[in-house]
Amino acid sequence: MDIILRARGLTKYYQMGEVKVEALKGVDFDIYAGEFVVVLGPSGSGKSTMLNLIGGMDVASSGEIYYRDRPLHGAMERVLTEYRRDVVGFVFQFYNLMPNLTAYENVMLSVEIAKNPLKAKDVIEQVGLADRADHFPVQLSGGEQQRVAIARAVAKNPEILLCDEPTGALDSSTGIQVLRVLKNFNEKYKKTVLIITHNASIARMADRVFYLKDGKLVRVESVANPVSPEEVSW
Amino acid sequence: MVILRRKMLRDIGENKMSYIACVIVVIIGLMTYTSMQMARDNLFLARESFYRQYHLADGFAKVKSMPYSQVGKLKDIQGIDQVQGRLVEDVRVLGLDESKNIYLRLISLKQERPYNLNGVKLLKGSFPKGNDRSILLADKFYEAHGLSLGKPLTVIIEGKKVELKISGTGQSPEFVYAMRDGQNIFPDPEAFEVAYMPYEVMESLFAKKGTVNDITFTIKPGFKFEDVEQTLKTELEKYGMESLVAQKDQSSNAMLTEELKQLEKTSRSIPIMFLTIAAIILYIMLKRMVESQRGQIGTLKACGYRNNEILLHYLSYGLMVGLAGGVLGGVSGTALSISFTKIYQQYYNLPDLVGRFSWRYFLSGIILSAAFSLIASFQGAKSVLRLKPVEAMRPPAPAVHRRFWLEKIPGFWAFFTVQGRMAIRNMWRNKSRSFFTFIGIVFTFSMMAALWSMYDIMDIMVLDQFTRVQKYDIKISFSTPLPLSEVVRELQNVKGAKRVEPLVEVPVTLQKEHRKKDVVALGLIPDSELYTPIDKQGNRVRIPKDGMLLSEQVAGSLKAGIGDRLQVESIWARESPVYVDVVGIIPQYLGSSVYMNQDALQTLLGQGDIATSAFISMDKAQIPALKQKYYDSKYIGNLEERQQSIDLYNELMGSSRYVMWIMAAMAVVTGFAIVYNSSIITMAERERELASLRVLGMRPQEVMEVISVEQWFIGAVGILAGIPLTFAMNKALSSSMSSDLYSLPAVTTPSALLLAFIGTILAIGIAQWWVFRKVAKLNIVSVLKERE
Repeated sequence: MDIILRARGLTKYYQMGEVKVEALKGVDFDIYAGEFVVVLGPSGSGKSTMLNLIGGMDVASSGEIYYRDRPLHGAMERVLTEYRRDVVGFVFQFYNLMPNLTAYENVMLSVEIAKNPLKAKDVIEQVGLADRADHFPVQLSGGEQQRVAIARAVAKNPEILLCDEPTGALDSSTGIQVLRVLKNFNEKYKKTVLIITHNASIARMADRVFYLKDGKLVRVESVANPVSPEEVSW
Repeated sequence: MVILRRKMLRDIGENKMSYIACVIVVIIGLMTYTSMQMARDNLFLARESFYRQYHLADGFAKVKSMPYSQVGKLKDIQGIDQVQGRLVEDVRVLGLDESKNIYLRLISLKQERPYNLNGVKLLKGSFPKGNDRSILLADKFYEAHGLSLGKPLTVIIEGKKVELKISGTGQSPEFVYAMRDGQNIFPDPEAFEVAYMPYEVMESLFAKKGTVNDITFTIKPGFKFEDVEQTLKTELEKYGMESLVAQKDQSSNAMLTEELKQLEKTSRSIPIMFLTIAAIILYIMLKRMVESQRGQIGTLKACGYRNNEILLHYLSYGLMVGLAGGVLGGVSGTALSISFTKIYQQYYNLPDLVGRFSWRYFLSGIILSAAFSLIASFQGAKSVLRLKPVEAMRPPAPAVHRRFWLEKIPGFWAFFTVQGRMAIRNMWRNKSRSFFTFIGIVFTFSMMAALWSMYDIMDIMVLDQFTRVQKYDIKISFSTPLPLSEVVRELQNVKGAKRVEPLVEVPVTLQKEHRKKDVVALGLIPDSELYTPIDKQGNRVRIPKDGMLLSEQVAGSLKAGIGDRLQVESIWARESPVYVDVVGIIPQYLGSSVYMNQDALQTLLGQGDIATSAFISMDKAQIPALKQKYYDSKYIGNLEERQQSIDLYNELMGSSRYVMWIMAAMAVVTGFAIVYNSSIITMAERERELASLRVLGMRPQEVMEVISVEQWFIGAVGILAGIPLTFAMNKALSSSMSSDLYSLPAVTTPSALLLAFIGTILAIGIAQWWVFRKVAKLNIVSVLKERE
């Protein structure tokens, strides 16, 4: 299988005054192209740190991480910017939309810098917001805002879609709509999707599940028959 | 980046008042820059082309009388190039405005043209021809009196009425700023101008056949005025030399040059001052915005936006301010430059002086303002470069709050409400922003106080001089010195005369070591009531029996102090030089004179008991009769009515006052912009706290204290600090604006301080009121719901 991301001994610690906090303690993993991966773990287990390292938002303290053959560890900020620009799409727990741009404009924000973007209009249609495209974030519900955020990440047509607790702030039925959009992107465009969450139910729709605890990858499970988002509930 | 541009425009739209305030300060800066630079250029170019085309002489000399045939011989002096001898005579004009003394300076013209020296540009009609008594009149005079070509003008020559026909009007570079003598500060084309007539006509009218009394010359390349001065002086002294001045000291040219210098100076300093303030406002706004959009910057970085794209985005806010301010400032500056140029047209007779638009200053102004704004926004936004995307996504570390030393002052802290304490701590925590607000208020206050002091000073100058020093109603100057007792007897018999005081008024050259100064010495009678010099406190200064009182400027330029002995030269003195001791130094705002006891001065001159002029205090109703009586007397050189001088000063100072009001208004606007922006930032930073206080049940007014106490506190400290700065600014202003013709006392008046105080309070108050409206409209629920 085609490995899109590979990590070996991936470690990240933060210096907080005199205390050294190790957030990620030598993690090894491979992620394959087109996979739907869910990373599970309680708060403080290092999920977000791992996502940040994968997404080129932060650099590892030690260890190696590659996107295909390109090393991300020790990469210059400029290289990481280009990586984020061309390869990954981010979806955040609190949506992080630009408050004074409409839904459509928020999507255009990433379309403008992408090499091979999807049509913003199509993507908005796919997330079911065609009639809300001209609304500003404050005029949208949480679920709608998150779907705009996903549309924004997806419109770039990235190789890897990284989602940090995408349903964390949503009720279950809205959450399921959001998961449906993510699953569609994974299936329709054959792109890698990685979701970090502490919501174990979501794991049932993944191809593989990573379990993180205390900064360590304790278990990786393959799911024999992933369920559809509609079958997930919490 | 269409979308980011849209975001920028919407961000600006949401804070339009802040940006408008900032743009206004930029506009003020650019307006002063463009208007002054363009006005300077207009004036400078007009001067250069006029001087070049009409050949202003390099040197000017006056003699009593010199044979025309001798003039050419001056060319033999090494360094002298061309020489021109002329007859120059002042004559009184009758029949135009009976209430005024009107003089024309008649200058002889040789028939040959083009002129090599001090040429006359023909503006209307034609040059006088042949031997008929016609003149070419200064255009300003012609216009001021609404004259017409071919009409006669009546003047008094040698005590006789003579009619002169106006053949045309013209202008020479020699009288661009036409003043009769050093006693005047401003030109008054209704009362004094020049006219040209053929030499042949003039020599016979004035009975000065074959002679000249005025020499102008040019200097050969490679030589300086100083190189020829001494030889020329020796040569001219044979003919009773009265004065010899270089082009740079020629009164019209000196005034014009001085004005250009002033304009040059202010056109650099004032715009930079306003642009700097705008830049600081912008810097603080951008810094605050970048802080508040931390999460958005993180999102952009996560999306893969490059650092330079994000930086560029934030620079575009500044660029918008810079461009908007630059274009609007350039347009309004151009308009202002045209009205400045119109004012200059009133004072300076420069035929080519027109208000011109200059792309150079318009564009350089825009570039200047864009550059200032970009630098300011770069400084404010550069932290986006340092911010790592993962850090940007997290809220900033909470600020550390500590007690500070003011809190430890017993009683001080108890004075404030809880909101007040929040405000004071906030002020202390944001030291640099508080400092900037402080500087802004200091600037606003002192600029207003200094301007209004100047305003008052002008009144002091005029009032002191005309009501406390010069108390006469009429001053008559004689065309030649007359026997003192006869003068007094004659004038005492004038109907309505209450008191007559003879005066000896002579030009002298004072010298101390190598420093020289040409001044007018006034010999006053011991108990003069009509001319009473005063000291700084306004107390009358008695003229000592011996020795000389110097005005401050004269003392300053000679570096002379009490007890110093000065060498005095005068063409009026029988023996020259003589020596006099300095016995006192007194302030004098208009003109620069020295004072002596009349007898002492007469002894010094050795000409016997003479008077050159007289002061008269009289029944106002009889003034016209007096004027009528002496109108055509050949003994009377000038008749000055005090009230007319006061009116003229007031009229001329009107335009300066107008400029001062504009400048003061600019200071208020600037103060408003600073306080408003600073308050808005505080409000944005503390929105959640303000909303929480509202939830606690506080009224908007009470919540507002969190912001307003900070601003009023800084305002109070700023005003206090502005007082000494005002004194310093006045000192600087007075020394930079003083010249030989007038000196501005460095006075800071209580009323100016009070007005500045009110103006500053107004600026702060309006800004606070505007912010209050926002506080009152604060949406508590949505603010509290928002994620940090």
